[in-house]
Parts: sequence; C-alpha cells; structure tokens
Amino acid sequence: MTEKNPDKGYVAILGWSLNAIDAIDRFDRRYVIVAPSWAEDYAKANDIPFIAWDFDRLNERSHEIAQILKDEGCDVAIPLFEETVEWAGAINSVLLDNARLLGQSMLFRDKSLMKRRAQLAGIRVGIFEEADNHADVVRFLKRVNQTLLKLEGDPDDPIHFKAFDKAGCLGHRTIRTVEDVDSISNDEFPALLESHLDGWEFAVEAWIKDGKIQFLNISEYVTLGYSVFVPATPELESWRPKIEEEINKLIKAFDIDFGFIHPEYFVTSDGTMYFGEVAYRPPGFNALELIERAYGFNGYQGIVLAFDPKTTQEELDAFFPTPVEDAKGHAGCFGAYPRRRVVERLEIPEETAKNPYFEFHELAQPMEQKVTKRTAFGTHWGLVYFFGEDPHQLRDLLKAQEELDFYV
Amino acid sequence: MAGTEQGGEADRLAATLEGPLTHLQEARPFAKPRFQAQVLDVAGRLLTVPDGIARLHALAPRMDAAGIFAGSDWDAPANLLPGLVSGTLEHGAPASVAAEAVSLLRLLAVAKGETEHPRIHAAAARRFLTQVLALNMRRFFGATDEAARMAGAQQATTDALFRYLAEHVGFQDVLGELVDEIWRILRQRPIQVAHAKDMIAQIAITLSERGGEIGDRRLGADRLVSALFGPTSACMGDPGLDTYHERLAVMDETDLRHEAQGLARAMHDTGLVSDYHAAFLTWVLETEHDGMVADTLGLGTTGRDCMQQHRGLILELIRRAVRPETAQALYGMSLMLDRGILHHAPIAPALRRQLELAPCPAVAERLSMAGLHAADPADLLLAGCIQVLGLPLGVGQGANPTCQSARAIAMWAQNDPDYLLHLVAQGTRIDSVMMHFEGRAINSADLPAGLALGAPLDADPVSVVLVPHLDRIYAEMGRLCAARNDDPHIWINPEFHGWWVGRACAVAVDVPTGALAGIEDFIARFHTAYHPQYNSGEPVIHPQPAGIAATDAAGRFVGWHAITILRVVPDREGEMRVYFYNPNNDSGQDWGAGAVVSTHGSGERFGEASLPFETFASRLYLFHEDGMRPAASNRPAQDILERVAGQARGTWAAGREEISGEAISRLAATGPS
Repeated sequence: MTEKNPDKGYVAILGWSLNAIDAIDRFDRRYVIVAPSWAEDYAKANDIPFIAWDFDRLNERSHEIAQILKDEGCDVAIPLFEETVEWAGAINSVLLDNARLLGQSMLFRDKSLMKRRAQLAGIRVGIFEEADNHADVVRFLKRVNQTLLKLEGDPDDPIHFKAFDKAGCLGHRTIRTVEDVDSISNDEFPALLESHLDGWEFAVEAWIKDGKIQFLNISEYVTLGYSVFVPATPELESWRPKIEEEINKLIKAFDIDFGFIHPEYFVTSDGTMYFGEVAYRPPGFNALELIERAYGFNGYQGIVLAFDPKTTQEELDAFFPTPVEDAKGHAGCFGAYPRRRVVERLEIPEETAKNPYFEFHELAQPMEQKVTKRTAFGTHWGLVYFFGEDPHQLRDLLKAQEELDFYV
Repeated sequence: MAGTEQGGEADRLAATLEGPLTHLQEARPFAKPRFQAQVLDVAGRLLTVPDGIARLHALAPRMDAAGIFAGSDWDAPANLLPGLVSGTLEHGAPASVAAEAVSLLRLLAVAKGETEHPRIHAAAARRFLTQVLALNMRRFFGATDEAARMAGAQQATTDALFRYLAEHVGFQDVLGELVDEIWRILRQRPIQVAHAKDMIAQIAITLSERGGEIGDRRLGADRLVSALFGPTSACMGDPGLDTYHERLAVMDETDLRHEAQGLARAMHDTGLVSDYHAAFLTWVLETEHDGMVADTLGLGTTGRDCMQQHRGLILELIRRAVRPETAQALYGMSLMLDRGILHHAPIAPALRRQLELAPCPAVAERLSMAGLHAADPADLLLAGCIQVLGLPLGVGQGANPTCQSARAIAMWAQNDPDYLLHLVAQGTRIDSVMMHFEGRAINSADLPAGLALGAPLDADPVSVVLVPHLDRIYAEMGRLCAARNDDPHIWINPEFHGWWVGRACAVAVDVPTGALAGIEDFIARFHTAYHPQYNSGEPVIHPQPAGIAATDAAGRFVGWHAITILRVVPDREGEMRVYFYNPNNDSGQDWGAGAVVSTHGSGERFGEASLPFETFASRLYLFHEDGMRPAASNRPAQDILERVAGQARGTWAAGREEISGEAISRLAATGPS
C-alpha cells in the first residue's frame, strides 16, 4: 500500500473492481472497499481493506452501512457501478450531513426521471417515453414515424430502447421493426424509449469539484457500441466551449457539487446539442484507461480527488492536465464481436496486427464455437487497443476494424 | 498502412510494450493478471520480428521482476520441467508461447550472470537451458533452412528462439554438458529414464547429422546412443525389430550367447535397456532358448541361484512385464534377482499375488495415463513393482511435493519389500491404504487430498498407485500431532515407516518459534548416534529417516526436506561420509557454502548421495536414534561442534533466533511433552 496521507480524506469505494482497487491502493488516500461478501476472502488474502455489504436491495438497512462507514471515519462514499449509485447517495447524505444527496442519486438511477429533470432545466432532449410492455414500444415506434411523415412501406426510422436501471450499453437496443420488439424479454421492462437522432454521438467524462468542471474529456464514438477514442477529433473538439456550457447546465440541473459524471450527447448537423443520459459513476468501455493512455493520469485517482471533501484546488490543478494540449496522442479501442455464426479460434487480422497504431488486445479465446446472436450493445468479446498521433487516421482505423474477422 | 522498416518494427513494439510493462510493474499483485495478458500479447509479437528476440532478452529480467509470471508455474523457475518447453512453444496458446519464450530468455540472462533471480541461481538456469536445448537439438543443430521454411511461421519463430539460446549458451557446450549430465543422472540409476532416453534420442540424431563437428565428447555420447539404439553388432545402426528378429533367427548358439552378454553389458554399463534387449529376451523365451535368460539378464551368482529356485515364477513375470514398451523392467528384474530378496519367504508368494492382481477401474485409469497407455495397466504395475524392488533408491518424487511418500516407498522396497507389495495390493484392489497411528486406524480413502492434489503422473507405477494414499495418511498423522507443539515427525516417522525407525528423535529447531535450539548439543548427539568413532563402531543397521534443511546453491534456506540415512562409513580416502537417499529425482545438488552432494566417485552405490560427515551434520535438522545407548561419554570435541554449528548458522539457520542449551529430544512413545 502506498503511504497514506492522514490529512486527506478517507474514502469508501462501493463495488468491486480490481482495476479501481489497484489504482486507489497506489494513491495517497486511505480507503476501504465495500463490496459483497463473496469478495471478502480475496480481499483479506490481498490485504485490501474491506467491509462486506450486500447491495442487492436498498432497504431499511441502508442506514446501517452509512453508520458503519461513519464510525469507521470515512469522509465520503464513491460508487463504482450503476447499482451502487443510490447507495452512495444514501451514505453520503449521512456522512456529509446533506439529505439532498439521496434524492440526487435517485435521479441518476432512473433514466426517465433524469430526462424529465434535464428537460425542466431547459436542456434539450429528444422525444422520449416510458414503456412498461411490448405494446408501448410498438406504439412509440409507430408514432415517432408518423411524426416523421413516413408513408406506408417506407422503412421506419429506428428508436432506442434502454432498460431503466442498467448501465451504459447493457440493455440498450435499437428497434427498427415490430419484429425487433418481439425479441425484447419481459424482464427488460420498464424501459425508456427514445427517438433516433442522426448526428454525432459522443460521451463526456467530467471530474467536478465545488460545482466546477476540473477536467473534461470528450470521448468520440466511431460506432456506438463498437469503438471510441480520446481526445476527440479537432472537429468535435471545436464544440468544446459549447459542451462545457451544456455540462454546466447539467451541474446546475442536478445540483452537483462534486464527483464524476459521464453524460452522453448528440450533436446534429446544425449544431444543436441533445442530451442523452448521464451516469454518476466511472464509464464502461475502459474510457478511463484510454484517458490514462492519452494523458497519463489515472482516472480513478482523479475520481477519489473529486469526491474527497479534503481535496484542495491546488491538488486538483496539479493533478489534471490541460485538455487536448497535454495529450501525448490519441487512444482508442474497438470491441470485437464474431461476424461469423460458427467460429473456431481467435486470430488477429494481419491488417490489424501489422498496423503501427495497434497496441494490444484483450480478446478471449472462444468458449463455444456457435456464436449467439447479438441482442444488445456491449456484448463484445473483448477490446482491441490502438494509439497514434493522427485522430483521423485512428478514427478510420477503428471504423475499418468492423469489417475484419477477429474470430475465424 | 505505412510499410514500417524491419528494425523499426522491433523498436516500435518495444516502445508499445513499455506502457503495459510499466502498468504491470506498478500494479498490486491482485491486479497483475490483466497487465500480464497485455504484456504477453505485445511480447508475443515482438518475438516474431527481426531483432525481437534480442529485445526480449534484454527486457526479460525486468518483465520477470514486474510480475509477468506471478501466479503461474513459471514463477518457480527451479521447478520447471525442460521436457514441457517445446510442447508449449509449439502447441500453446499465444500467451503461453510468449510466456515460455520470456521465461527462457530470463533464464538465459540469469545463466549468463546478467541478472540475479531470487529463486534460481546461474548454474541451475544454465543446466535447465542445456537440457531444453538438448531435447530440441534438432531445432538448432540439425535443422536445415529448408525444413524451417517448410514448417510455417510459428515453427520458424520457435527455431529462431532455440538458435538464439544455443548461440548464447554455447553450441558445443550443450552437447558436452548434456552428455555429462545424462551420465551423471544415469549413474544414480533412476527408475524413470524416459527423459534421459529422449535426450539420448536427440543426441543420436545430431550425431548422425553433424557428427564430424562434435569432437572428443563423442565417445561418451556414442556409448549412450549405442546402449539405447544398438548395443550389439546385430542391432548396430538401429535396423528395426523385424530385421533384428531375422538376424537372430540365423544365429547359432554361440552367437546368441554373445548377443545376450553384449546386451547385458550395455545395460549394466548405463542402466538403460534397449528395445532390442527386451525383444531379445522375449524371443529367447518364445524360441525355447530359455537357458539364456540368466545371461540375457546379466545375472551374478545370487541372481542365478534365485533364478534356479523360482524359474517358473520368474519366466511368468518376464512374460508379463518385459517388452519393448516396458524395457526398463528387464534391468529391474536383473537387480531384483541379484539382491536375493526372493530367498526371503514371503516375496515369491507376494509376487504371485501381484501376477493375479487386477487393478480396480480408478487405479487402472491412473496407471494407463501415467504409462501413456503403453501396456495393460496390470502389466505396467507389475513392471513397476519389479523396478522398485530392483532399484529401491531409483524411486523419485517427480515434480510433486511428496518427498515423504517417495522416501517411504524406497525405504520399504529396500528394507521391507513384502510390506511394500502388501500396500501395493491394497491400493490396487480398493484404491485405498490402511495404516495405524498410535493405535488409531487411518484409512486413506476417507481422507481429503494431501500435498499432492492429483495423483502423480510423472512417477513410476508403484508411486502412481501409492503416493495419493501415503500422502494423505502422512498429512492425517500430521494433523493428529498438530496440537503437540513439536515437530510432528517425532511421532509420524516411526509410525509411518516401520519398527526400525529409532524411537528417540532429536530436532534442532524449536517448532513454535522456528528458532535454532541447542544446535551444538544436537550435533554432538548426531555424532554419538551415527559416527562410528563416537558410537563404538556401530554401523547403521536399518535405513533411518532424517530431515534436511534444504538450501540453494547460495546456501539460502529453501525448505525442509525428507531423506534417508543409509550408511556411515569412511570412503576410499578415509574420510567419514554419510551415504543417504534423497527422494528428489536428482540427488546431485549444490547446497551452497561448499556442500556439493556427490552421487558418484566417493564410494556411493547406485542411487546413493553422500557428503562428508560434518558437512552433512551441518545441514541436518532432525534425526532418529534408538535412545538405548547410555549418555555419551564419547562426545566430540568442542571445536568440532562449533565448526559444524557455524556452518549451519552460516547457511540455513542464518537469521534465526537461537535457544542455547540442550537439543530438543523426544521419545515417540511418550507422546506430547
């Protein structure tokens, strides 16, 4: 364990992620991991400070963990996963003696409430609606396309279907036809339905302290669910001032004083920015690692800084680099998925292997030969990492990966 | 994509490696696996580009220190098996190939003194690489460029790696060292010789392809090759069994007798049995030349006498157990007969029982797997019994942490062979073994697995049957003594091995604290119990279990190790030596600070290891004595005790607390103190 600074905060990490624990263990803040009891033996064997807790249900016992952490001397709780966001809100409302934080966290956890709150605050959102069953989805699909003045027989514009409380790409489907609706299983309801926007989709990672953006990264999606890179191309980065403005609106709308947010946006060709959703936790798709590769700072350690009430502005200024300018290059990753129905083994395509931007991959060997049909985003078989100087070249390279077979 | 230059490719990949490698270095142990995979992915590609191997060679020690092998077998380099290397390189998943290559290259760096490793020293690293190269000699010695071109990229990379290793370890040296190494191992007459045979096969190929370049090391190599592939003129040049049979068919009685003697001579010279030898013996029996069996076995007078008395049994054993696939059983048979143990009444009926014994399905399965399905499981086991009885000290523990079990099997084979056959019969029939501990029955089938989680597959058939049981029983006995706050071997050793184990036990280590306890008194007691000059000239009568504090070549403590004291007698130069059995597969070890265990040339019998008495005493931490001798009046002089104790303190006991006074000595019979 790195020497800990007793003058700084003591953080409770909600959730079990070895990458996060590794980074935080190497940082100067005292910490304790709060995670399900299945991780306890492992934590003990590896000298990881640990408190066992079952996050499955928020109930009358939630006050208990808040008290345990208070007695332990923790200053703040940090959620790692979607499922622990409201726990963090509940715990922090006790630790920081601020009841508002629980309500805030509930907003982050419910995609529909989140959108309404944003809308009320004057943030532009697409057409959306809640769905409780398959019929709702069909109705929304039809209505959206009526609005678009489609004639009978024209291909419908797609809609997006997002399970209410799942993180990121999990539970995110694109619905194009009534048949697509049939493939949704009952347990994915309730869900949020959104109209499709043709435009540029991107995500933002923002570290916030004292209601101010301390560092803002723009992650450019090449293809949603497949590939992303940071920093974005100069074209997207040219929107940065406007994006910061939007983030400040979010900070205000959700009354965010500190922490880390990960919102998604669309920007249409006329420059209108649409808010998609926001999460109060680290992003999936290893965005923090891409940021570390490009900028050299560890995102988890940054999150600890942003949450710790004892962090000073000087520390933050020293920790975070200047966006874009300080990046050593552009880092991207591609989520590979078998394109064939039957695969035998993993084989990195020669084109990829020989490309100077290619760094390494974390693809798994196929466990079975038959490939199940891809139903939602985010079910890739592993990531392939790239790094290079030219963002356009990187973008085209990531795009090109979609046409290659990693499993043969 | 831009066509990068060839050298630039290695530069680029080395630069790419830097990121994951730094992550790996910094990561906490629990987070290393992920970065290991990343590093291995890049390393695997670096391996295939020009100049990549040299880059990896330079980076390998850093990768090792960063934890690239953490959690894998490669993390214990001293336990790696040279025979597995080429299989991994050829058929492993890409990450395993990369890991194996990096492991070889870091061992190269250790062997060349470019770096130090906490768990393997330069000589051992060099020995390992030599053996790996020996087993793959064709890949760098004989292989033509054409062959490599034919074989595809993966093969080309592997060959390039072997060539790189061979160039750096030293081309000529490899063969020379290898020949010396094989002779050194064979002089210990191990039962398991498959590994040595593989290496000899590689030498044979190399000799035939590049014989002219080998020079004066050729003689020793030739002897090995001919013992295995053509010990006599009738099978010289390895003509194949069919041709050989044709040649035998036209031989007269005198030629056949010469053939028998020639085969036997080669066998006794090397301890290896040629397939031709086994085929000859079978042929002799089939063609009713069975008057030649004794010559074919190369028997001495005792053996011939046993042969005469138990002719029917012996021929039956040979028919079942000796064939080209189990050729080594022929050597076991020869030595078993010459030991004269068939004169001991229970042995012949016990062997008859063995002939009829049908292994239960689980045991049959284990035997088949370990014996690579070379023969019927019952026959494999029969061959195994004959070998263990012929070469008791040839039992080795394989790559398993079961030195106690191997030691016990060897001890019974030597001292209580009918008891060993009794245990084998139990284990074979019901896959369980029953023993008693202080009156309490222990049934191995009821116990959880001990140190060896699976049955050993790299051991002889008797070990395959018995070790899983012995290991569990040993562990259970240990559990029963756990509360006694003393070394459990005090009680276990006599109960486990047999009545002949001395009931008094001296221990130099205080178990609860690990402190050195009464070391000088301990050494004095050892002298008065075992040294003929201090014990009124009484020889060691039965093999006695003892415990060694094992150290590496730098004299650093490695762990406690079980051995057997066999004899204490002066060697030809008049120096008093302890001759002992080490269940480790290769007794010739360097224990550091001048304690180099000898296996040949200092009066050792086959399979024995030896050290000068004082050197041995300085590494001993536990021994048994009968406790019936009056308090020793003939204690060694203080300067001897101080000298020996100093050697202990300078090596395995370095850094331990010390408790002065008398050594810990317990009587097994009195139970806990």
